[in-house]
Amino acid sequence: MKRFSKDIGYINLILLLRIIGYLLVIESLFMLIPIITGLLYKEPATIRFFGATLITGISGAGMMFLKPKSREMHKRDAVVLTGFTWIILSLFGMLPFLFCGTHFSITDAFLETMSGFTTTGISVLPTLQGVPKSILIWRSVVQWIGGLGIILFTLAVVPMLNNAGGMQLFNAEVTGITHDKLRPRVSFTAKGLWLIYIVLTAILIVLLSFSRMDLFEAVCHGLSTMSTGGFSTSDLSIAQWDSVYIKTVFCIFMFLGGVNFSLMYNAITGRNVKIWKNTAFKWYLWMILLCTIGFSINIFIASSRYTAESLILDPLFQTISFISSTGLVDPDFKNWGSLSTVLLLILIISGACAGSTSGGVKIDRIVVLVKFLKNEFYKMMHPSAVTTVTINGKGTNQTIVNKTLAFLFLYGIVIIVGGLILSLLGMPLSQAIFATLAAISNMGLETDIAGSSTHIAEINDLSKWILSFIMLIGRLELFTILLLLNPSFWKK
Amino acid sequence: MKIVIAGAGEVGTHLAKMLSNEDQDIILLDNDQERLDVIDSNYNLMTWNGSTSSFDSLRNVGIAKADLYIAVTPYETRNITSCAIAKKLGAKKTVARIDNSEFLIPENGGVLRQLGVDYLIYPENIAAEEIALALRHNWARYWGELHNGSLLLIGVKLHGDSPLINCKLKDLPVTDHNFHVSAIKRNNETIIPNGNDEILRDDIVYFITTPEYVEVVRDLCNKKKRVIKKVLISTGSPIAKRFAGLYNDEFHIKIIDNDRENCERLATMLPECEIVWGDTLDIDVLRENNIYQYDAFLALSDSSETNILSCLTAKEFGVPKTIADVENLQFLSQAENLNIGTTINKKLFASSHIFKFLLDQDQTNSKFLTLADAEVAEIYARENSKITLKPVKDLHLPFGMTLAAMVHAGEVQLINGNTRIEAGDYVVVFCLSGTIHKIEKWFNK
Repeated sequence: MKRFSKDIGYINLILLLRIIGYLLVIESLFMLIPIITGLLYKEPATIRFFGATLITGISGAGMMFLKPKSREMHKRDAVVLTGFTWIILSLFGMLPFLFCGTHFSITDAFLETMSGFTTTGISVLPTLQGVPKSILIWRSVVQWIGGLGIILFTLAVVPMLNNAGGMQLFNAEVTGITHDKLRPRVSFTAKGLWLIYIVLTAILIVLLSFSRMDLFEAVCHGLSTMSTGGFSTSDLSIAQWDSVYIKTVFCIFMFLGGVNFSLMYNAITGRNVKIWKNTAFKWYLWMILLCTIGFSINIFIASSRYTAESLILDPLFQTISFISSTGLVDPDFKNWGSLSTVLLLILIISGACAGSTSGGVKIDRIVVLVKFLKNEFYKMMHPSAVTTVTINGKGTNQTIVNKTLAFLFLYGIVIIVGGLILSLLGMPLSQAIFATLAAISNMGLETDIAGSSTHIAEINDLSKWILSFIMLIGRLELFTILLLLNPSFWKK
Repeated sequence: MKIVIAGAGEVGTHLAKMLSNEDQDIILLDNDQERLDVIDSNYNLMTWNGSTSSFDSLRNVGIAKADLYIAVTPYETRNITSCAIAKKLGAKKTVARIDNSEFLIPENGGVLRQLGVDYLIYPENIAAEEIALALRHNWARYWGELHNGSLLLIGVKLHGDSPLINCKLKDLPVTDHNFHVSAIKRNNETIIPNGNDEILRDDIVYFITTPEYVEVVRDLCNKKKRVIKKVLISTGSPIAKRFAGLYNDEFHIKIIDNDRENCERLATMLPECEIVWGDTLDIDVLRENNIYQYDAFLALSDSSETNILSCLTAKEFGVPKTIADVENLQFLSQAENLNIGTTINKKLFASSHIFKFLLDQDQTNSKFLTLADAEVAEIYARENSKITLKPVKDLHLPFGMTLAAMVHAGEVQLINGNTRIEAGDYVVVFCLSGTIHKIEKWFNK
């Protein structure tokens, strides 16, 4: 009987494979949802879908039985695990697309899955007509899993990870500069966050099913909207239904998808009701208000016919859809004018609150940046002033500011480098930059908003792989993935 | 169990990490954000930035639902105040770290209890007592007394001439079963052995036995008895003061300290002891003070490295027994490999006290001994608890724990596979760190 051996390996590969095994089994369980859908609608593709589930489940179960020598997980293990989990899960998650559809190449299937998991929402499908329902719901399920993060889900259900290693995974996957915990044990925090997510999604689905949508459409949209992903079941997306009720419901839940989930948890459970003192949340509200007004003004100037709906609801819907990185677009958006394009860019970059399902750099970081710059300008006039960046009414230390600045700097670099590479591969430069920005912010806009007409499905394969990769970089907030590319990370 | 720990100093941080490994809900409260950040991102616990004696911050960490509040900041009065507030706000049990022995005297204890402090930890006091035990039983590396001294845990480092070396446990050269080999520490690994495990040279072997068989164990280990009279202490740290204050009639004590003012304070406080101003890392100072005449050398400064080095120097001068205060847990096994002799660690003493709460045991009767990566617990078997249902060999106890001995109706027995534990017995359990919480369900209903 031995234990507590202190010899630490370079990377605890067996343990990592075992955890990935757990994740794959969980993924295969999620695949049962499309299978049930397929069976209900008696679709012939279901049997092939079953094959994909079986492959995923069996590979996962096989890996679950590996016996690691030590259960200790260190920082390096956590980073490797987080990065590779998302890639491996996407590789298995694309199997249904490969097995069931004829139009998917491996590249397309991977891009579609990665776009789903990262809640980006770019689709390689030129049209959704004739796509089996099981595939449609799988796209939404993938977005829903990716919204809060599958590792977080695993932390909630696998007791093996309820330790310091699990904490490292939590830090690597959850977005934001700092990571709020709800309770001391990481499994409880993960359970709390997922509970909020599941309850909100359920409410959304019920509300949508009261509308003109049928139950299937309500479920698909419920899953993809709560995760602020934006996959739809119709080519026209939400315009298909043209209903004030649906738009309003979407507005509310995209908004909630952009709020910090720990903040919501604390507010709902009444542990800490000071939601109005949260700086990022206040800025989130202000940005929505100001941009809505901006869009309204632009519509007022640009169009000749307007109604209350087109002046209030449409701009609000558009603002929330952009800031939460859902990426649903009003069909008329192109005619709104140039101010709207500028606002669009601001909203894409900013994103919503940290700790939410949205993309972008997150408002929390914008707040730090703006306050830091304000302090710097103040110091130019008053050189001996001692200033601090205050968040939630408390001063923060310099480390937070440094982290934020490094993040924003890196964000810019990735966009420029990504854009240049895409343009080298044949995309027009402006479209290339825009596509990278949309991918890294997990926004998933169809690129024609930037004035170009190439559909994502028509670009070459290499560009698609690069875009998938950029989406992943954006979802895991740059450092996790870029660290894996850093040679010093692998040095012994 | 929900536990709030106030003070992220050495003891607080160690408690937090260790209790988190035992699957408890830990909130660590301190007002130094930088210190908290490191712990927060690396351990499965929650940290909170706030004052330990502020009503607001205690409410924010949910003190009303806390099962245990542990105040271990370096300041005694602050700990007592914050325990009083925590108790008022609804904490079930409170523990305060103190550095004044007057509170431990029963007649004075009532005051703190009225204020809302349920238990006290005085790590320096425990350390002083442990040092005295180690000096009295100086042939052992580790000497622990359980059940008021009727059961002993003895750790011995085996050198080349012991008959135990290269023996398998099932064929030890003994006729009676009057001791139990509970653990073997080899290099950096602690092994809970079974009959097929072999004892090797340079292992530290932990025996559980009763006082009448101590001589048997000592002979088997081939160690000699020696009475220690003259003790040289390096640095007049709080532990040294406490030790000198408690035991100056039993031992002849000399303290060397390199702080002039501290020396003067010590001289006033401890008139029976010799106080010398000088640096213990300086060989000349040691020579001047006739170090080769001393029976024991205690290195008790704040720096683990200095303590280890000065003990090695003392060994070279031929001091038979050296004891080092090694606060740095990473150094503990290195120090053991270096033949320092006995090592003591305040943090381990503090945690051994806290462990009792985890098992929901009666405070006055149960005792815990904490080694570097293992724990020895004396646990009361409750009525109808799982442990009493079958003979030991059919219980299928979890990995990493072994039952060593028990006190049945006031009589001490060693446990073998056929023993059946009955309700009301005190059982001595040896287990590896991180498994204590698993024991609870075996002994409690």
